[in-house]
Amino acid sequence: MSVFEHDYRPYDGRLTPLGTRPLVLTRYAMAEAWASKITIGLFIFALLPCVVALVMIYLANNPLARALVMRGGPSLSIDAGFFLHALETQCWFGLVLTSWIAPRLVSFDLGDNALPILLSHPISRFGYLLGKSVALALSLSYVTWIPCLVLFVYQCYSSPQPWTLSHLSLAVGIFGGSWVWIVLLSMVGLAVSAWVKWRVIATGAIFAMVFVPAGVGGIASAILRTKWGLLLNLPVVMSEIWQRMLGAPAVMPERLQLPSFAMAVVLAAACLLCVAVLNVRIRAREVVRG
Amino acid sequence: MNAVNDTIRFENVSKFYGEVLGVNRISLTISPGITTLVGPNGSGKTTLMNLMTGLVQPSRGTVSVLGLSPSNATQFFCNVGYCAQFDSFPRGLSGFQFVLDSLMLFGMSEEDAYHLTEESLERVQLSDEAAHRNIAGYSKGMRQKIRLAQAIAHHPRVLVLDEPLNGLDPMARAESMALFQELGRQGMHVVISSHILDEVDRISDRVVLITGGYLIAQGNIHDVRQEVRDKPMQVLIRCDSPELLASKMFAVNHCVEARIHADGGGVFLRTGDIDEFYRLLNEIAVEGLVKIEAVAPADDNANAIYQYLIGTDGSIS
Repeated sequence: MSVFEHDYRPYDGRLTPLGTRPLVLTRYAMAEAWASKITIGLFIFALLPCVVALVMIYLANNPLARALVMRGGPSLSIDAGFFLHALETQCWFGLVLTSWIAPRLVSFDLGDNALPILLSHPISRFGYLLGKSVALALSLSYVTWIPCLVLFVYQCYSSPQPWTLSHLSLAVGIFGGSWVWIVLLSMVGLAVSAWVKWRVIATGAIFAMVFVPAGVGGIASAILRTKWGLLLNLPVVMSEIWQRMLGAPAVMPERLQLPSFAMAVVLAAACLLCVAVLNVRIRAREVVRG
Repeated sequence: MNAVNDTIRFENVSKFYGEVLGVNRISLTISPGITTLVGPNGSGKTTLMNLMTGLVQPSRGTVSVLGLSPSNATQFFCNVGYCAQFDSFPRGLSGFQFVLDSLMLFGMSEEDAYHLTEESLERVQLSDEAAHRNIAGYSKGMRQKIRLAQAIAHHPRVLVLDEPLNGLDPMARAESMALFQELGRQGMHVVISSHILDEVDRISDRVVLITGGYLIAQGNIHDVRQEVRDKPMQVLIRCDSPELLASKMFAVNHCVEARIHADGGGVFLRTGDIDEFYRLLNEIAVEGLVKIEAVAPADDNANAIYQYLIGTDGSIS
């Protein structure tokens, strides 16, 4: 019979709020992602179009500089179409950055069997994924809405006419449109990272999830002579959404335009599919196969 | 503190992974001190540990740890420390960062976490220089130590250790066992699964034998051995004339085997009636024919119980 002294004292200090704890995972996911020189390189590369756009805004608002540089070339118009183009460019760079950062986020923890250790803390599977997705969303923010809003602010500052108040909806559209894309990319990126172990294949899978359905949708549209196949074409769907959110002129012919509700349903379905994949793969234990 | 709030309780717990049985109908109460889970590979030890650490939910039945359920995540996980058997570390971290990070996930402030990290690293005797190196460069023993440091750093009341002695050299094993003993003595629940039965035997207050997902026996090692009545108990008697003692004992029915110790200074006797055996031994001692120096059970340990109840092939004997 053992004699227990009962002098063991559990920790009774103050605890941080439960909601902030996933940020511990965010911190390390960010450090992991941005420790790579390739991530830095992609980030710098993604900002080059913004520098070009910045110069264009400067020229559009400075007649003397425009006359010197463009020498009677076409006039520059800084409007919804300009910002739509900037947002589209940045968002596609976001896809490239996702394809580099996302594959390592979850697959490393799965490969290293780190999930039982991490999930034996007061953090749920949702909290774990939230921590990882915040890291991805923050990284994507650096190349999407933040530089686009910087362009917007610079245009507000440079414009000789009162411009800001009449174009505030552009800022809202840039912010909202970017977040639709960021959420979708985060879900796809995490799902692929949880499913595919090898980085190169995971990178390919992220691109495939965007472009393969577009091809399938194109074939379906051609065979069935319908516009609904375009719903599988993510680049088209996102362009339509961004165009509507920014209030830019329509790019697609009217007969090919898709209802906003249908596009929202497609994006929601894609996110749900990713959630289902994550639900299967993110477990606190090894999956036992009979 | 009432009994429920001071024990780990499994009430008719079953866990199935699809069609694969993890554990079946386990009813078990674990009190403070050191409890060893013993069973062959695939017997359900890790499932039992995952259940008590809240990592998996039972398919049937209820599990409560110190009266807490895993649904009460904050309190539950702060009271449980888990040292997994796998080499499981988030990539790119140093040992110090790993423990610090873990404590911050438990909700400790950076200052408290820093202090507790240093304390736990000191307890597992991992040097400062090693603690600040990347875990990827650690030896197996150092990995075990950092896993253990992570499990005890937040001062849990229940410590669940899955094969904590694997990969440790004899010195590190002795240090770890001394630490488990100290924690157990302080009133912590230490649940260990281990294959190194001889060493675990020395520190365990009780054993839980499990095979094929079924609970075979539980309790104090000595009590469990007493219950295995179909296996005659073996007793080592140190005396001046073992041959004479063996002949006297072997004359009675319940003595089924006698074997002289290799050094000639004692005899192993196997008996089917331990009470009658001790009565007879007393008589012999009183007669003065044999000078008895020591009497000790020779198969009253986890290893023997494992052999008798589970067998070498893992099937129930």
